[in-house]
Amino acid sequence: MAKGQQTTKRVAKKQSEIISMGTELCERMLSDLERAKRPILTATKCSLDNSLYSPKVGYLTPGNKKVSSELNVSSVKKMSRAIFMLEILLRNVEISNINTKRELYYVAKGLVKHESKLRPLDFQDQDESDSVIDFICEMMEAYREELNCVADDRGGQTYSKQLVVVETELDGNQSTVDLSTLGTAPYQPKNRPQNLQLKAKSKIDFCLIIESQGTANTLVANGFTKRHNCILIGAQGVPSNAVRAWVRRIQEQLRVPLYFFGDLDAYTMQNIYRTLKAGSAASLIRNSDFCAPEVKFLGVLPEDIAKYDLVDYPVKESDLQEARALKKARDALTNDPFFKDKKNKDLRAILDWLVKNKRRCEQQSFISVDPRDPQMMEKILIDKIKSGNYID
Amino acid sequence: MAKKQVKKVTKKVSVEDDSSAEVISRVRKSAKQITTSSTAEYFAKNLQQVGFSSPVKAVLTTLKEALDNSLDACEDAGILPEIRLQVEKLGPGTLKNTDQIRIYVEDNGPGIEPEDVAKVFGEYLASSKFGRGRCSRGQQGIGISAATTWAMQTTATGARVVTKTKNARKAFKCVVDMDLKNNKGVLRDKTNVDWTSPHGTSIEFKLDGRIQLNGEGGLLNYIRSTVLLNPHMTLHYEITDVAPNTVERVVNTVPVVPQATEPHPHTMKLGEFMSHARLFGRTKTSVWLKRGFSRVTDKVLQDLVNQKGLKRKVLDSFVDALPDEDFKALFAAIQAVELLPPATTSVLSVGEDGLALSIRRLGDIDFFAVLSRKPVICDFKPLQVEVAVARLRERRGEDNEEPVQVLRFANRVPLQFDKAACAIVKAITSVNWRAYGLKQPRNALPLGPYIIAVSVVSPFIKFKNASKETIDASDELVEELRRALMQTGQRLSRYLSREHKAGELEQRVQHIEQFGPILVETLGRILGASEERKQAATAGLAKILEKDTKGIKKDLADAEGRLATYLEEKKSRLSGFFEGLEQEDQLTGTDVVAAVPSKPASKAGKEKV
Repeated sequence: MAKGQQTTKRVAKKQSEIISMGTELCERMLSDLERAKRPILTATKCSLDNSLYSPKVGYLTPGNKKVSSELNVSSVKKMSRAIFMLEILLRNVEISNINTKRELYYVAKGLVKHESKLRPLDFQDQDESDSVIDFICEMMEAYREELNCVADDRGGQTYSKQLVVVETELDGNQSTVDLSTLGTAPYQPKNRPQNLQLKAKSKIDFCLIIESQGTANTLVANGFTKRHNCILIGAQGVPSNAVRAWVRRIQEQLRVPLYFFGDLDAYTMQNIYRTLKAGSAASLIRNSDFCAPEVKFLGVLPEDIAKYDLVDYPVKESDLQEARALKKARDALTNDPFFKDKKNKDLRAILDWLVKNKRRCEQQSFISVDPRDPQMMEKILIDKIKSGNYID
Repeated sequence: MAKKQVKKVTKKVSVEDDSSAEVISRVRKSAKQITTSSTAEYFAKNLQQVGFSSPVKAVLTTLKEALDNSLDACEDAGILPEIRLQVEKLGPGTLKNTDQIRIYVEDNGPGIEPEDVAKVFGEYLASSKFGRGRCSRGQQGIGISAATTWAMQTTATGARVVTKTKNARKAFKCVVDMDLKNNKGVLRDKTNVDWTSPHGTSIEFKLDGRIQLNGEGGLLNYIRSTVLLNPHMTLHYEITDVAPNTVERVVNTVPVVPQATEPHPHTMKLGEFMSHARLFGRTKTSVWLKRGFSRVTDKVLQDLVNQKGLKRKVLDSFVDALPDEDFKALFAAIQAVELLPPATTSVLSVGEDGLALSIRRLGDIDFFAVLSRKPVICDFKPLQVEVAVARLRERRGEDNEEPVQVLRFANRVPLQFDKAACAIVKAITSVNWRAYGLKQPRNALPLGPYIIAVSVVSPFIKFKNASKETIDASDELVEELRRALMQTGQRLSRYLSREHKAGELEQRVQHIEQFGPILVETLGRILGASEERKQAATAGLAKILEKDTKGIKKDLADAEGRLATYLEEKKSRLSGFFEGLEQEDQLTGTDVVAAVPSKPASKAGKEKV
């Protein structure tokens, strides 16, 4: 285990707890000001250089580094904005109101519009208000969902003939969704998966998370979920909070093997798979509930290219995004504790291969193995699962 | 071309398999068809090559050529130029989408002798300036003749000229037409008239064109640019749709155009070298080399013999009797021998004094920096670069994201077209202006309410085309321009840094006033705190922030102190300018190279250009 890494399971904060934390913070600041002492706001530093990783914990956790902001002429604006936004969030928690970040941006804009004294606080764009909300979360070490600020439920559309979901709503009512009754339509998981209870009608053999939502749809349309007792999820690119928490819920409650299938490129390896498996540096304080350390990397593996004669192509370094991903991959090999850990040496080897060979291969290339066979991708995936051709 | 035609005919004949007698006869016949055209005919058919490629350019080029000639004439005669200029729309033109335009330029120059009028305005390549190696605006003697040709082609009227020399009792008035066949000017309607000025020349053209006032290729931009680089000129101008205006001179001395130096042997080709020798007739080769070239001394002649193996007898022979082989040997030896680089004394600049005074005529500017680099040898030619950067007060404040305005000059003539390929623009875009406090997108011109004026002066400027619109971007020239721009940028940034500090202080004081009460009020609201607590917190907050403000005030004072020391250092270098300013404007805290005018530069009742 990495030095200083915490292992205790985080307990979700209750509404009353959030309110008292916010009030205490404000009380401390006001008292300091009364004594002409500079108030200091301290938050956990959420960055790679403050990330710890241990295979026993399974995800990135924060180190001891903190970011402190002392009140002075430069920070007075930032602090005023933070306290202004905190007031809105605490009120939301009090009255059980939920808002997205975008909505909070407009709530703040509305208050500023109707109160001329607040005009200097006005946010020029949503990025400004988003960073204030993130700062508050890091300061209170609270999830934004605990502050009733939810994200759009993007990605994670789920298909299964065996899975049943029981959702406890905010008013206490329960509703049950049997995914087998939805036909080819998906189930959309929520940002607050803590309210979901999962059951299996019959044995589920595995859960497959596909990077591309479109490819997941194709597999379902071709009868993948009819032929296999499984859960099939489309991640839709970088996994959102909803996807990360949803897969974590499946890992904890159903105890089924989890496999991720995506492109063979630096971006997928670092930004998609690593985030799903071990969380991200930007969300250090929430990784404990928002990643699934047991998820395995099914492919595309470098050896698959030769084995299945896949279509691959060189990385275009003129493409800004690809060049950036490649540079980030080089940094990850030296700085990312996840890839530096011995347990993940096979994943590190893939990243190394990508950096050296500067080639990439997309998940859809499995279709090209036999374009006349609509089940070709399915056959390869099942073959890989059965033969253990994946990285743990 | 002739060769090509003959070749073509020969080929055709051989294909047809005619008898050899017939072939010879046909070749002879076709050879008879090869004719010679005059220079005038060539230019008449290719006016687009000399700046007449569109109706807008036709007006601008005509005006430019007339004004350049006037300024050159005044400078050559040591007269402070006073120019009257009129551009007016007379009615529809004969060409599609054009107007008939009258262009009139009058100067107080020395005047032209009547017998020279036809040559000056009606003959191509008839010039007193061609290849003489001086930094005059005109060089080849093409421009004004091209304007006459354009006027004749579009309105069938030549140039109307009135000119009077100092000693003449009356002015000579005539119309100059072009005889294209013979490249000659033809004078008609010759008369002698009374003229109020003691000497001078006026020229009037009626031609088809279109007046464009604004934009980079606009007349106003041209006038603005000409005014900047000619601080010794007074200009009265009347242009259709623009109020008549006068821009007074700010310098009362006429720039002396330095005499040309003898050519440098390393700048010559073999043919040129041999032709140059013929000008000297029966002269010893050693004497010819020393008199006919710069940087050739007795020691160089010794080196030619001792180091480069040239036979001594070549230097002792008469140059007109030197066989071609000896010429070739001499040329090779002199190219190989080490010589001092060409002299830079033939370069004429406006100078930082003149630029500093002149830039204030461009508009209401609140800051400027000027720089004159020392003359250097660039691409083996003497050359000098001058840069002026000014910030326009009227365009400030409104988030100005427009690219800066670039004014380009070659030998004090504004360049207004084909900006992208020009060495000056390439140099400006290659400088990192962000380091000097300006916004700049990648590989583009910087943004903001600035004018960047760059002047290149050299007796041999390499233009990309005959119309002299773009300076060729050689690596050496771009590097020299970059250095000048970076030095100006550094001067600019000293001022901007002080301004930035002052702005920062103001912003921070504002922050305290704005955010302090909000912070306390919000905390009080969340906690439901009493009025007493809130007042105590407000007082505590004020104390904290006051400490911070003191620190920034100290920083600002330091920055101002550094700027003052810097200005003091530079003051002695340009004392003339300071005296002028003290008398005129009573400027305080100004710098010649980085100055802040205390009031708008224009005089009452006169508009900016």
